[in-house]
Amino acid sequence: MIRLENVTKVYEGGIIAANNVTLDIQKGEFVFLVGESGSGKSTIIRLLLRDEPVTRGKVWVAGKDITTLPKWKIPFLRRSVGTVFQDYKLLPNRTVGENVAFALEVLGRPRSVIGPQVEQVLDLVGLSGMESRYPRQLSGGEQQRVSVARAFVNRPPIMLCDEPTGNLDPKTSVGIMKLLDRINRTGTTIIMATHDHAIVDAMQRRVVALDNGRVVRDEPRGRYEEEEE
Amino acid sequence: MSRVFFLIREALVNLRRNLLVVAGAILAVFISLSLAFGALIVSEVLRINTLAWQEGVHVISFLKDAGSNGVPADAHEVLLTEVLTWDEVERAFYVDKAAAWVEFQEIFQGQDELLAIDPSVLPASIRIELVAIELHSSVKFKLDQQQQVVLRVQTAAEEIEQLQSLSQALNVLGIGMAVVLGLSAIVLIANTIRLAIYARRDEVEIMKLVGASNWYIRIPFLLEGLIEGVAGAALAVFVVWLGATQLARAGEGFALFRFDVGTDFFFQWVSSSAKQLLLWEHRVTTAQMLLRRSVG
Repeated sequence: MIRLENVTKVYEGGIIAANNVTLDIQKGEFVFLVGESGSGKSTIIRLLLRDEPVTRGKVWVAGKDITTLPKWKIPFLRRSVGTVFQDYKLLPNRTVGENVAFALEVLGRPRSVIGPQVEQVLDLVGLSGMESRYPRQLSGGEQQRVSVARAFVNRPPIMLCDEPTGNLDPKTSVGIMKLLDRINRTGTTIIMATHDHAIVDAMQRRVVALDNGRVVRDEPRGRYEEEEE
Repeated sequence: MSRVFFLIREALVNLRRNLLVVAGAILAVFISLSLAFGALIVSEVLRINTLAWQEGVHVISFLKDAGSNGVPADAHEVLLTEVLTWDEVERAFYVDKAAAWVEFQEIFQGQDELLAIDPSVLPASIRIELVAIELHSSVKFKLDQQQQVVLRVQTAAEEIEQLQSLSQALNVLGIGMAVVLGLSAIVLIANTIRLAIYARRDEVEIMKLVGASNWYIRIPFLLEGLIEGVAGAALAVFVVWLGATQLARAGEGFALFRFDVGTDFFFQWVSSSAKQLLLWEHRVTTAQMLLRRSVG
């Protein structure tokens, strides 16, 4: 599903954010990217979205080499990848329903399709009946649910989450994780960058640890910290 | 179809949400175009006036009375025939003493003390239109040779020439101003668009994240720009047209100077505002390109 092959990313000024990273992620996997701030988690997310070009190496997403993708095809890549960020990235002057519908509208879906699909996904994330509220009228956890709904409404095969629980308290975070787990069970591949120990330890999923842009650990049912023997 | 409606709705919603920016953009187009049109009008007024001055009689040759004081009886006809053969002369016609008296009465209508003169003192004359105004001195010289019949040669050509060069300079100045103001309009408009894009960079970022194509992001901006440009240009055309007609009305009293700019010229504004709009559109596209480069 996703493959990074000897990927190196050097930012302007010589900062090495990814150093010879090789990673294989199968369809339907749930993968945590862990590591300190600046270890390169967000860079990998951005490389997968072609938000940044790689310096060296190859990146395949959904069977396509995206390092050679022409610029005009980038929107098509992003339609097959849902994204959730720490700061929700909701439009403040649009209602919950409009924010979710936005993702379908820009794809040119007819209104008759958008309505039911938005309703269905809001039901999935537990926000039925909140369509006409504005983001500022919601709690942080609810806003993140809207963001997840927007990312998933198009039923993408892959979802990238960059610190989705970074702004939320532990209890609310558990709610978001349960939601992501449900989405993962529908066969969606999820890659989540986080530095939340409790969540990683509780979920018991594959853990890829990064340090200074290098993969230092890759365990199928890992914990946040390396287990001491 | 739903795509088209969505894009138009996006543009309209954005216009409504950013009323201040929209008002600023329309004002920028309006002011810049009004100033540019104003400068064009000034140069057009100068042009038609110079043309008007150049038309008509340039040289008048007053004649001694024929048939007395040694002037042959057919001297006037002979001179007119000769004048008509000169290359410099476009047209020439004879005004006899009776016609001169009629003209005098018209000019000094109501001034009874002047009209009390003896009509016989008014000389006959030959009125000459030149092929080109610059030829006045050679014609004057030739007429001055005919002292036997020519009483006095009067020419307005020198004054016209001076006015002509003055108005040419003013014309160049007017067009130069229109160009400079037009350029400043483009800069102003480009800046307004950049502000509009900057104000909505979050929205653009999210549109890119959910996979909107570049054209999908760009078209609402283009439509907004188009609407703002048309509104500003229409306002400018209307205000300048109003100003020009008022000026023409106020200028009706002046005999020497014409203020009425023709309809043809108005069509020129419309086409020039259309050009402005195209430039505006072009700026939007360029700004979008820049945006794409900066957002990635």
